[in-house]
Amino acid sequence: MDVTAWLAFTPQLIVATGIIFGMLTIAWRRSHRLIGYFSLAVITLAILATLYIFPIPSIELTQLVKVDLFAKTMWILVLIAGAIATLLAMGELETGTEVHDEFYILLLLTLLGAGVLVTSQHYASLFLGFELLSISLVGLTGYFRNRQHSVEASFKYLILSASASSFMLLGIAFIYSQTGTLNFSLAGVTDIQNMIMQLGVLLLFSGIAFKLSLVPFHYWTPDVYQGASSAVTFILASVSKTAMFVALYKCLVDSNLINLLAGEKILLAMMFISIASMIVGNCLALGQQSIKRLLAYSSIAHMGYLVVLLMVLGKQHHSMIQYSASYYLFAYLLANAGLFSVLCWQEKQNKNEPDIHLCHWRGLIWRNPSQGIVVLVSVLGLAGIPLTAGFIGKFYLIISASHGQLWWMLSALIVGSGIALGYYMPLIFALFKDDEVQQPSTLVTSAGQRIFSMFIVVTTLVFGLYPDVFANFLAN
Amino acid sequence: MTMLPLLLIMFVGAMAAWQGDRTKKGSAPWIAFFTLLGAAIYLLVFCLSIDNSLTRLVVTDKHMWISSLNIFFLLAVDYLSLTLIALTLLLGFIAVLISWREINENLGFYYFNLLLAVAGTVGVFLATDVFLFFFFWEVMLLPITALIAIWGHENRRFAAIKFFIFTQLSSLCMLVAIVTMAILYKNQVGHLSWSWFDWQQMAKPNAWMFYIMLGFFIAFAVKLPSVPVHSWLPDAHTQAPTAGSVLLAGILLKTGAYGLIRFVIQLFPDAAKSFAYVAMTLGAISVLYGAKLAFAQQDFKRLVAYSSISHMGFVMMAIFAFNVNAYQGAIITMIAHGLSSAALFCLAGMIYQRIHSRQLNNMGGFWQSAPFFAGLSLMLVAAATGLPGFANFIGEFYSLVGVFSKYPIHATAAAMAIIGSAVYGIRLFQSTFHGPSTHVISDLTVREWLILLPLILLLVVLGLWPNILLNLGFVGGV
Repeated sequence: MDVTAWLAFTPQLIVATGIIFGMLTIAWRRSHRLIGYFSLAVITLAILATLYIFPIPSIELTQLVKVDLFAKTMWILVLIAGAIATLLAMGELETGTEVHDEFYILLLLTLLGAGVLVTSQHYASLFLGFELLSISLVGLTGYFRNRQHSVEASFKYLILSASASSFMLLGIAFIYSQTGTLNFSLAGVTDIQNMIMQLGVLLLFSGIAFKLSLVPFHYWTPDVYQGASSAVTFILASVSKTAMFVALYKCLVDSNLINLLAGEKILLAMMFISIASMIVGNCLALGQQSIKRLLAYSSIAHMGYLVVLLMVLGKQHHSMIQYSASYYLFAYLLANAGLFSVLCWQEKQNKNEPDIHLCHWRGLIWRNPSQGIVVLVSVLGLAGIPLTAGFIGKFYLIISASHGQLWWMLSALIVGSGIALGYYMPLIFALFKDDEVQQPSTLVTSAGQRIFSMFIVVTTLVFGLYPDVFANFLAN
Repeated sequence: MTMLPLLLIMFVGAMAAWQGDRTKKGSAPWIAFFTLLGAAIYLLVFCLSIDNSLTRLVVTDKHMWISSLNIFFLLAVDYLSLTLIALTLLLGFIAVLISWREINENLGFYYFNLLLAVAGTVGVFLATDVFLFFFFWEVMLLPITALIAIWGHENRRFAAIKFFIFTQLSSLCMLVAIVTMAILYKNQVGHLSWSWFDWQQMAKPNAWMFYIMLGFFIAFAVKLPSVPVHSWLPDAHTQAPTAGSVLLAGILLKTGAYGLIRFVIQLFPDAAKSFAYVAMTLGAISVLYGAKLAFAQQDFKRLVAYSSISHMGFVMMAIFAFNVNAYQGAIITMIAHGLSSAALFCLAGMIYQRIHSRQLNNMGGFWQSAPFFAGLSLMLVAAATGLPGFANFIGEFYSLVGVFSKYPIHATAAAMAIIGSAVYGIRLFQSTFHGPSTHVISDLTVREWLILLPLILLLVVLGLWPNILLNLGFVGGV
């Protein structure tokens, strides 16, 4: 084991060390500001370290971990999401009389879990990352215990993610019984097209599908989204889903498992789950009044779209799938960052009724242009309308799916996007309504919030108009 | 000579109108007016500087856009696109003038959307990289939806959502077709290409082409609109503000026809020929159905909207007839319908401003108080019904002659609709300007003269000397 191999894993080690030092800091002095800025510094350091190791070629570190380009890209996305969540949480937690230092430790633990997941190359590290992520997220969801649905949400999440991990463990056991290895790479393994293997893959897939909230494992999503605070919901929507998707990609596609199973029924089952997610998620989102529930259902559909990428068979397409997935998830992250930060700022000012509804956003673009424009651009991004990064993400997705000739899934994607407009458009029109402005209070935005809003808007537009930025970044 | 400045002028103008109205209230219409003037002057200079014939597409701009997918910012012009761009700019002026008094809220944002819609449409006519085309195709949608949803009439949000969902779904079909086509190109040549010129050259496997052509056809048929997918149009037209209706009827529908010509016919001639019978039938049904429904309407704008479906049916038939006469007829009908329906929607807007109603039974006897208004309206209604002497007649005549040589039954059926158009045209005029006087309305103002006169003059000039257009030698259609 030489030094460069360990160098590739430094970002994760930085976060892990950061957690320990964070706890020491708490023991030394309990200050909300201190721990907030400390975790922000840890995340920034980890981002910088990842950028530093970016040119290092794909490298395997023991059996457990493999740091490749895809893992590094996604790890940066996860860290950026973590940084945004920290900023949002710092604003949200500021007002309480308590010192909420545990929150930041849990947040860093979540990031560490995601960091292990995106680099995992072995079912043991997959499970380790999975549990690290889940358990700290349970803590985060239930953190604001005074909120109405907080305990319910976190309890639901606890039970369902525990059952998901047991499903997954059983699936891993089945897979192990057939392949004889826990490593993802199936070099030398042939003849696995049998029922037990398929059952194993199905169980593994459904365990991860719980986390990605694919239909029919989606029931927890709206309740947990609604019950958790916005910063936490943002982590659920970005960090957790990104990391879980990467893990799924690594054990199914990167390992070549899915190609070995080509033509088997398991693929049909996955296709069905994906199509059902697109249709059901979008249909359920129609008519939702609570913004968070709406976003929860739309996230089901978005994850359904992403699963399309896993079904593109053939090794020659791997780099394209990775690129499409990174772009799509990046665009999704941007849109979510915009929406959840606005939700977070408004919840803070709307103390007595923290659940933001569609009616709270009426005429937002006239009342508070900076928040209004972020919401507008982000929703357009989610809907995949040109000019935004979301469109390019969807475009890459369609290119990949066409390469794989997945016409049924493409049709479902089109129908799903059509249904989605049925709730994205009213949301956008609500922003422009000026007839009946019923408002709880005047909305105030600080300079920092305005700068952040502009940053999201500009990034979304730049990546929507000039997607080469992303490719150039990866090429260097 | 490059065409990029034309787009830039309008884009910068749109931003300026938005920001300008913040600093100085009421400056937005002027900024929009001068932006369009600048664009028109640029177009004129461009037209004067043409030294070789533009019967075939000539590339004006080529820049790398998305290198990882080999997508270019590729613009090209021929006479067809130049004519349509000129029409777009003219109707842009009309839209600005008609909004001058009508719109009082959020002026800056309104003119931002208006200019962006015009710029997007010009982009659609210019783009020859198919991805870029799709991009402009979508960009033009957003501002028009905003125009309907924010400044429209009572039921505007429903209309805007319906419009958006119809067009968005159909354009996703087109997107899938575009991507498939690019991948087919890659399988043949080894790299992706989105260029219209490359696609025209490539070998086209029959098994695929039909479905790809269908993807394009669906998107354009929705925009045109043709019968089974037309139902967004009456709602969108009725609920849009006057300028929105002008843009919708005048240019948005033309992008559908333009797409059919440029992509369906010119890229997939074989697949389109095998599909021609279906398209022809759809066109004939649209012609008759639109005329019938137009007759049954009580709402002035809805009536004009249904008449648009009828007229665009002629265009669809003419395009799929695959002969020179019909092809020229299609182009003249496009221009003539753009001018006449825009003028009719302006009339609707002017009447609405005076009596605050669009219902025909609230109108009547306007001739007595507003004779000039009535006279000009009579000319416009006559033009729309295809009376000889106006451009519409030439267009419909050429189309029918062309179609008859190949599909006599369809042509005969469609010719019946000319009677239908006279019926609804007369009904429209009678219930508005004849009969007992219901309101005393003021006659045309100078601004309104300025709006109607150029449109009428153009209709007459093109009706009497159609060679102005025909001499441009639109090739294709064979």
